[in-house]
Amino acid sequence: MEVHYLIRKPILLEACFHIQGFTVLLGESGVGKTTLLRALAGLVPAEGRPYGGLPPERRPVGYLPQDLALFPHMTAWENVAFPLKGGNLKERALALLQRVGLLDHAHKRPHQLSGGQRQRVALARALARSPELLLLDEPTSALDPLTKDRILGELVNLIRQEGIPALAVSHDPALARMADWLLVMGRGRILQEGPPEEVLASPKEVEVARLLGYENLFPVRIGEGGVWLGQVHLHLPLPPWARPGQEAWLGVRAEEVIVVREDRPPPPQNVLEGVLASLYPEGLAYRGHFQGPVALSLLLPRHVQERLRLHPGQRLRVALKPHYLHLMPGQAEEVP
Amino acid sequence: MDPLFWTALRLSLEVALLASLILLLLGIPLAWLMAFHRFPGKSLLEAIFLLPLVLPPTVLGFYLLLFLSPEGPWHKLTGLSWAFRFEGLVFASVLFSLPFALTAYREAFLSLDRNLLEVARTLGVGKAKIWTRVVLPLVWPGLLSGTLLAFAHTLGEFGVVLMVGGSIPGKTQMVSIYIYDLVQALRFADAAKAALVLLGLSLALLVAVRSLEAKGRAWKSIT
Repeated sequence: MEVHYLIRKPILLEACFHIQGFTVLLGESGVGKTTLLRALAGLVPAEGRPYGGLPPERRPVGYLPQDLALFPHMTAWENVAFPLKGGNLKERALALLQRVGLLDHAHKRPHQLSGGQRQRVALARALARSPELLLLDEPTSALDPLTKDRILGELVNLIRQEGIPALAVSHDPALARMADWLLVMGRGRILQEGPPEEVLASPKEVEVARLLGYENLFPVRIGEGGVWLGQVHLHLPLPPWARPGQEAWLGVRAEEVIVVREDRPPPPQNVLEGVLASLYPEGLAYRGHFQGPVALSLLLPRHVQERLRLHPGQRLRVALKPHYLHLMPGQAEEVP
Repeated sequence: MDPLFWTALRLSLEVALLASLILLLLGIPLAWLMAFHRFPGKSLLEAIFLLPLVLPPTVLGFYLLLFLSPEGPWHKLTGLSWAFRFEGLVFASVLFSLPFALTAYREAFLSLDRNLLEVARTLGVGKAKIWTRVVLPLVWPGLLSGTLLAFAHTLGEFGVVLMVGGSIPGKTQMVSIYIYDLVQALRFADAAKAALVLLGLSLALLVAVRSLEAKGRAWKSIT
């Protein structure tokens, strides 16, 4: 499904993109993600395709707002039956609840259900109006962080089973991993779209890279066979657009900064010497800060730390492998 | 008990009941307009509706008397003369209690979660169904408590009804004026009995209002 929308208020926004399967729209707070979603639902005035000019009640979309907006005075099945017309309301509502695996909870009120269950009731209610498109606003926000991934995975599977395209907006990169198609939004426009593995591996702009978790981002100048980062020359394969002397951005993921083992010969290129300024656990991994000719954030898997036994303050050599260095056009002025 | 007391009480209850019903019909659309719509002159309109709160009742009553008198604009407009009549009392009571009802109704609507209404629209149902299945079930405690408040307020009004209705026993003598007349006639024992009945009635109404307000809040706290 192709979407082209122009919104003037409350924020100027022109967005042109595709929705394929479970599509995730990533963007920071305040860039207009929710506004775009509400415009698709018909709740914010906008021009464009599809559904341009139709009031919300005539758009074949199922909208799940951030707080889900279940009717607090109705039970789960009554919520699901609300959009239904004609006879056998209860029977049909129960069938929908069965589709989302909540038949046993049909007689509970929303406040008696967990966040994940409420989400599925809202999904069943949206399905009751037979939508062509599902719209989900921050589906991770109502979930307990400990069970978030599992509950979200179940929700995404349910949506895939229904075979209805969905657009989920979020600022949570965890959701991006479950997407069939990924969109990244900046202020007022879509910055990049594509299959998630492509967008995650090669962001087109520094803003996209930052949103997708590239922690080491540097303004660089393109040289022969690589780039100059201040006084440091780094080798990397240059993309076709790169011309010597041009300014650009270089990104490298913290988990792709490699610690050089002293008992092995160092890699031939891009080895930097410095000090491990800090090191502390982060989940099952270790987060370190390297101070040298360049300051880098690094993330060591625990098997690496178990072998190397690094400690803060020690001297350290790190290597930046050319194919993990990602070059993006753009000038240093656009500070991330 | 003095039979005139029962006549006066009955008149007060009738006026209050009718005024409350009219307020319910008039106040709900007005309060909805004020809660959810913006239009030019809205602040002025709100100020006018709130005016009876601060205006001395005798001033309001005086203007109403001029308005409803046989020479007044209401007579010229409709051919009806409502001064010193039951209809005039109801008309005055509606105006006098409008700010109470309107404020309570508006609060009830404002406490309604806008998301619920928006999502209801995206579910493809008509306005009538949204009103009967979502809006009214959630706001009725607020609407009823506002109406009871207006009812209690009408029951106790004095200045306006004295100006508009006078104190014609059996015709326009409302119970608050009846008590005043008893005191003027130094019949303190009768006045005390009548006052006690009104005290009990007012208290009961306020208890009902408070418990309805608590019920209205209950939906909010669990959403």
